Amino acid sequence: MATIYIDNQPYVVKDGQNLLRACLSLGFNLPYFCWHPAMNSVGACRQCAVKQFKDEKDTKGRIVMACMTLAADGTRISIDDPEVRRFRAGVIEFLMVNHPHDCPVCDEGGECHLQDMTVMTGHNYRRFRFRKRTHRNQELGPLVNHEMNRCIACYRCLRFYRDYAGGRDFDVFQWHNYVYFGRQSDGVLENEFSGNLVEVCPTGVFTDKTLKGHYTRKWDLQTAPSICVHCGLGCNTIPGERYGILRRIRNRYHREVNGYFLCDRGRYGYEFVNSPRRIRQPIFRSERSGAAQPVEKQAALEQAAKILGSGERVIGIGSSRASLEANFALRTLVGADRFYRGLAEAECRLLDTAIALLRDGPAPAASMSDAAQSDAVLVLGEDLTNTAPMLAYSVRQSTLQREIGLTKRLHVSWWDDAAIRQALQERRGPLYIATPAATKLDDVATEVYRAAPDDLVRFAQALAHALGAEIPPVSALPRKLAALADVVAEALYLARRPVVVCGTSSGSESLLRAAGNVAWALSAAEHRGQLCLVLPDCNSFGLGLLGGGSLADACRAIQEGKAETVVVLENDLSRHADQAALKLLDEVRHLVALDYLEHATTAAAELVFPAATFAEANGTLVNNEGRAQRSYQVFVPQGKTQASWRWLQEMMVAVGRQAEASWRSFDEITAALAEALPIFAAVKDIAPPEGFRMAGQRVPRQPHRYSGRTAMHAQADVHEPTPLADPDSPLSFSMEGSQRQPPPPLVPRFWAPGWNSMQAITRFQEEVNGPLRGGDSGRRLIEPQPDAAIRYFSDLPAEFEPRPDEWLLVPVDHIFGSEELSALSPGIAQLTPAPYLALSASDAAGANIQEGEKVVLAMDGLHQALPVRFLPSLPRGVAGLPVGLPGMMHVTLPGWAKLSKVTAS
Amino acid sequence: MTANDPNTRQNPHDLPPTGESAAKGPAAAGKKIAWVREPELGMAGRSYLMLFLQGLRTTLRHLLSRKTTVQSPEQRHVVPDPLIYRGVHRLNRDAQGRVKCVACFLCATACPAHCIDIVPAESPWPDRQKYPQSFTIDELRCIFCGMCEEACPVQAIELTSLYDLSGKSREEMVFDKAKLLSVFDQTKDAEPMTKGTGTFFGLPVSNEGTPGPAEK
Repeated sequence: MATIYIDNQPYVVKDGQNLLRACLSLGFNLPYFCWHPAMNSVGACRQCAVKQFKDEKDTKGRIVMACMTLAADGTRISIDDPEVRRFRAGVIEFLMVNHPHDCPVCDEGGECHLQDMTVMTGHNYRRFRFRKRTHRNQELGPLVNHEMNRCIACYRCLRFYRDYAGGRDFDVFQWHNYVYFGRQSDGVLENEFSGNLVEVCPTGVFTDKTLKGHYTRKWDLQTAPSICVHCGLGCNTIPGERYGILRRIRNRYHREVNGYFLCDRGRYGYEFVNSPRRIRQPIFRSERSGAAQPVEKQAALEQAAKILGSGERVIGIGSSRASLEANFALRTLVGADRFYRGLAEAECRLLDTAIALLRDGPAPAASMSDAAQSDAVLVLGEDLTNTAPMLAYSVRQSTLQREIGLTKRLHVSWWDDAAIRQALQERRGPLYIATPAATKLDDVATEVYRAAPDDLVRFAQALAHALGAEIPPVSALPRKLAALADVVAEALYLARRPVVVCGTSSGSESLLRAAGNVAWALSAAEHRGQLCLVLPDCNSFGLGLLGGGSLADACRAIQEGKAETVVVLENDLSRHADQAALKLLDEVRHLVALDYLEHATTAAAELVFPAATFAEANGTLVNNEGRAQRSYQVFVPQGKTQASWRWLQEMMVAVGRQAEASWRSFDEITAALAEALPIFAAVKDIAPPEGFRMAGQRVPRQPHRYSGRTAMHAQADVHEPTPLADPDSPLSFSMEGSQRQPPPPLVPRFWAPGWNSMQAITRFQEEVNGPLRGGDSGRRLIEPQPDAAIRYFSDLPAEFEPRPDEWLLVPVDHIFGSEELSALSPGIAQLTPAPYLALSASDAAGANIQEGEKVVLAMDGLHQALPVRFLPSLPRGVAGLPVGLPGMMHVTLPGWAKLSKVTAS
Repeated sequence: MTANDPNTRQNPHDLPPTGESAAKGPAAAGKKIAWVREPELGMAGRSYLMLFLQGLRTTLRHLLSRKTTVQSPEQRHVVPDPLIYRGVHRLNRDAQGRVKCVACFLCATACPAHCIDIVPAESPWPDRQKYPQSFTIDELRCIFCGMCEEACPVQAIELTSLYDLSGKSREEMVFDKAKLLSVFDQTKDAEPMTKGTGTFFGLPVSNEGTPGPAEK
């Protein structure tokens, strides 16, 4: 610890950091632009100037940049010195020379870092009388809006996009006053993290284009803490609503999970909540194929009671995108032995394997922050950018870790970003990627290996053997590959915090087990090997822990006559079941569905209940590291929509089973869940209960500046409605409440006096980049067994042999399109590719297939005509099939398929 | 000297910062507060006689001054300076007859009664990004403080000198965009818009927009 003196007051700060970071951690208002908590210092903007004194006798001092000066023991500085104040006001006056001063019409206005800093420095009168320079703006696609005139050239966007997110199609052009940040020409920003430019830019150059269509100022949004539902990582978000429309998603800092950033799928996928395909009231079909009739809530419940009757021969199908509470309510309704998980058999097996690896082995689950701080990463079979985008971001950051350690002898501070990158040049730490096809992380990978899934397993097992796992060596491994396995094993062995990344998207259980072997072998050798497993959906882990059979088991129950009524919870079964299973479910006597969007299952259901989305109900989701996190209701939905667990509870009351469904509030159902299933005991403690108050008040969802309260409903009713009650959480649907900083799980927005932008985050952290005040939210439900005897898996498939007339289809994921809900957002839909079949050019030439030509794919009774697209990195004999795209049917991959050309007839 | 003696009581905020709180943040290391004592009242002050006489003088002055009561509604009150009077709102039009508002929400945010509600939409005209799709003022909730007018960066909302605001129902008193524009049409001749002599963040602001189709 070091003692520094700020305006003659002593403060104790951590060693080795810079003065700006120390000042912000201490709560001082020191303006800055180019510094960012995740991107450290470059000293470009000259805004964070402070005066440094040699010793207590020195009265003259000298102006230094706080972000580029080490907070060494005994440092004496002044923030309030008149000369340095004038200096800072002068700097901002220069920055504002060409700024258009269009705050009232700027989307950033009111949450603009430039506004905040201008006010903070006291520059309030414009003296520049000449013409401002103007730029031509670019069309950057459906997600990000570009307004270059507002730029103050802090270079944050460029640093984030190129140095941190790994983008290539964005750069700085021109010089002097004309410095221009953009693409070489108009076009969609290619990087999957481009949406973060909106938050990284200190002013309004980059703004949220989806928000533009339904613009609302930050202070007019009703917000609540939430969890992203578009992949299994569980990033923390802040959705904002007004007039019953979800308006945007912003990042909510969590040190262990997503840090300061979100991927574009998570940021822009929210618009499915406003989709015209939403189901807003109960629907009843007197005949299964008949027209849907909207019915009243009571009538629907009576109908449900009639169908569910005695409860015999009723089965429930849960969902990996529904909350733990909703799944638990369904499980209670139908009984544990008649609850099925709503996943295909292969998906269930993969999920169980992944959870077992984390539960039974010695290797702990790696959070995204662990992955980012790892100094050696091995990725097995996952195209992270498309299956778990923020994890790809973390892995990209990890490649600097070992090298930063090496720069210590150059006497460069770790926070001196420009110097570090200058010293490192293109050197990156060990990252090994073994996947069937090229991934976007390949550019920072030390070595890549592309092969069919079975060969990947052989490679991983050879690696595990080299690390000392007690498994037989892999015979007949090509010499080059064996050498690579040795190199990777050595890199992982020498690392201090190696992480093995694998997941379910490859469809190979053996690969998961082999990844487990590698991580366990590292753990056994006194190295903290960590395992990071990617799961497909926001609550896959929770559903896995809840248990239950697969869809195939459900079909078996129907065939055996054990089920004649099926209740489907928030699940489009056509995404998980093949044609035969779907047909079977169609023919079942009664089909009851609960969901928020129309799809094949709700279209076939006799009775449909309108469920609430993530923004309209509380829920607990378990992310891929087993962390249970609470997501809160943002607004009260229109129509008869309510949380699925409430519908299920009311159904149970309607059939006269009040005693079993005694939960009336969210706290009561989580308590019942914790009691019924001990694995979920921690779930009730991850967030404060409904009765939590601060100074006797709730936490307001609306900011204290929320406008139009008495007029926004005046057209419908001149009487101001009473604020809606929230029986489920300590948050309120109003602007009244305590303005104090709530505990981390309840933080509804980041705002502090003088800090209206996202940069107010430093006011909510214990220290810069530390946990939020009150600790990290969420809790892991499973812990590794460090002392358990390791039982290695000895799966060893035969070497992959291309077949002359068949192709091995492997899944190809797409960040935009493969996920069901985000694909319905118009912005994301524009970026979603049309269904296709990927072949390597040489394979296609061998089969005499041209690019763009349509071929018929035949496997397991599935016939689909798809255009061919070349994916040069695919191994021989392997074809790629995009998963989950709208218009694609479910198939279990990897699998063998025959291709035939579409004949002209 | 007792703890309850008001002259010697130490204010807890006046204590010098402790070592622990000094290390925590600047708030704890705040400046010393100077405590000022009220001056003692003399005999004349305590009897309130002078204050009583002062009050009586004001009453007498009003008794003798010119009467300002007007026999409304037979007699109309003449607003002395319509430009600074704070009556019913209007939404101004530009030279092309389009609503001038750019949907920046500053009036709605400034409004202490929270009675202004704006729904923005992307503007159909090239000279601005947004315009108000709907603009609602609940005149019954309004306290006519004029802060909306004050906050408006483009002089789009103004308070007119119309003061006899009445209606048969509460619903009628919720003014929408059409009604607010019609107030402008009624009053534009008597009370011309604030002319384009003003500046907005140091830039001259004009009432003339670029040509475009007039809004109905």
